[in-house]
Amino acid sequence: MSYKKVQRMTGAMRINHWVVAISMIVAIVTGLYIGHPYYQSFIADPAVDKYVMAWNRLAHLIVAIIFDVSSIVVAYLYFFSRFEKPYKKLIPTFTNIKEFFDVLVNLITLNRVKKFDSSHADSFNAIFFFVFHMLLVWMLLTGLQMYVHGLASGMSSIGEWWPAMLHLATDWTVTVTGGTFMDVRISHHYTMYAIIAWIMFHVYYQVWRTIFWKEGDINIVVGGNKFIEE
Amino acid sequence: MIEKREALAKMFSAKGSKINTNRGAEYYDSLMETMKKRLNELEQTAAASKMSITSVLEAEGLDRRDFMKWASAACAALMLPASFTPLIAQAAELMNRVPVIWIELQDCAGNSEAILRSDAPTIDELILETISLEFNETLMAAAGHQAEEHLEEAMHTFKGKYLCVVEGSIPLGMDGLYGTIGAKAETFKDHLLRVAKDSAAVVAVGTCATFGGVPAASPNPTGAVGVQDVVKGKAIINIPACPANPANITGTILHFVLTGQVPELDHLNRPKFAFGYRIHDNCERRAHFDAGEFVEEWGDKGAQNNFCLYKMGCKGPMTFNNCSIVRYNSGTNWPIGAGHGCIGCSEPQFWDKYAQERPMADTHFKAPGGGVEKTVDEFGLGLLTAAGIGIGIHAAASVLAGKKEGDE
Repeated sequence: MSYKKVQRMTGAMRINHWVVAISMIVAIVTGLYIGHPYYQSFIADPAVDKYVMAWNRLAHLIVAIIFDVSSIVVAYLYFFSRFEKPYKKLIPTFTNIKEFFDVLVNLITLNRVKKFDSSHADSFNAIFFFVFHMLLVWMLLTGLQMYVHGLASGMSSIGEWWPAMLHLATDWTVTVTGGTFMDVRISHHYTMYAIIAWIMFHVYYQVWRTIFWKEGDINIVVGGNKFIEE
Repeated sequence: MIEKREALAKMFSAKGSKINTNRGAEYYDSLMETMKKRLNELEQTAAASKMSITSVLEAEGLDRRDFMKWASAACAALMLPASFTPLIAQAAELMNRVPVIWIELQDCAGNSEAILRSDAPTIDELILETISLEFNETLMAAAGHQAEEHLEEAMHTFKGKYLCVVEGSIPLGMDGLYGTIGAKAETFKDHLLRVAKDSAAVVAVGTCATFGGVPAASPNPTGAVGVQDVVKGKAIINIPACPANPANITGTILHFVLTGQVPELDHLNRPKFAFGYRIHDNCERRAHFDAGEFVEEWGDKGAQNNFCLYKMGCKGPMTFNNCSIVRYNSGTNWPIGAGHGCIGCSEPQFWDKYAQERPMADTHFKAPGGGVEKTVDEFGLGLLTAAGIGIGIHAAASVLAGKKEGDE
């Protein structure tokens, strides 16, 4: 029995993956603090020496920006990647729909049935990742809406265009979520849970594939390739 | 269909709270011309009320200097350049030319009380004494048919010129029968529509009149709504807060006197000069927020040291109002200054979504119509548990299935 090596992720794609993963952890840890400060600053220190909430907010906003920019890169790669173009797996063609259900059947039959080519990115995972990117877009819009509340003067360090653009791009989220700023916040909070659940399934599923398919899938995100039986 | 289209159009044209404090010389020059013209016209008309600001100030022992100090402060509050100060002073003197009909609906008269009951009235409050208040249930001596007659007369005399100030929400449940007024049992809704019809503009004062407020809190038994949900096709200015700050009421009326128009409004029809900035950004305890110094419990060391009230449920970070700058009761104090967090009383649905004495993500308060953060967290935790259990079952099943295959 011999195995063929298949390249699945380029170096840049893998770096992007881990940047996103680390950003997400930081965003959740700091976001939970912002929602409910769960540890206390040293009370004896004067206020000027500690900047705990501000650090948390800074970290949260910085990783959010890194996150958003990397998502823009990913969105670009959806269509223009020279490697694998994920949008091709998202179009609901007959082949893609069939592949989606074939992979799903493989998962729920605990790998008893496997009727698809597992060497390339499949439709099931492509759709699953697409859901993640939609959740991220929603976090971006609701997050920036809350952020622009602090720029009420209409000015920012990088110019007036930035808050103006944020209002233009995100004000509708207030109406959509229920009409108050609190609703935007609640929606942001809810979506975090959806993202955590998404991460849990994602990690589990990739490990599960590695164990059951015996094709070294977990290496895709580390070494960049997996192996297919010839 | 049309409603759907309107809702869609509204969704994508929602205005933010961005405010512009410097519009350039050209804009202010033309604004000044408009105002001068308007004030000259007003001056020609007969005073509707015998009260004048000079006599009121004299009675209170305030001199011209105090008045001019107030005028420059009001000028700044309205976000106008300092050159407008004389116009503000003139407008205040002409306040008795503006007829006001003040109606009360489903309310506690708290906004009237907030203005009337101060022991050291500010000039803002005194100016409200000089407006030509043609009708006000709380203040007037007339009652019954006499009051009704008076209202009719005022509406007829000042048709199209008076400001209709509304306090209190409008119950729509049971065909509006939760609130009726007068001998003919006119519902609050009909009463409001009748008075608003011939007014120059409608000013909704207090959170009940603007967004329904406390009466509209879940489960909202009377089907209470704000003025803007009932009156259509009229200029409506919302001055929320519980109670609305007299400075903001005066500012809005001043603006109307100066220009004959409503001031610039935000997406909730609130004047931007008053509701353009977040409480949080002008809060005296803000440094403690950034430092992560929070009051953990009422009366603890943090509370004694004026730490941030965020963890006691302060909603300043999402409430737009100027109380952190203008304050209440002649600038004496305001809720956060007194050691209680902001309850977001100038935001829609505040009673259900803002007014908990718990941190944002940790409230134990559950409104009858559904809780807020607690529900979010419980739902989230439930979802995570479900996902975890699902994964566990799948993993266990996979392992068992693998063993079986190995046995064969």
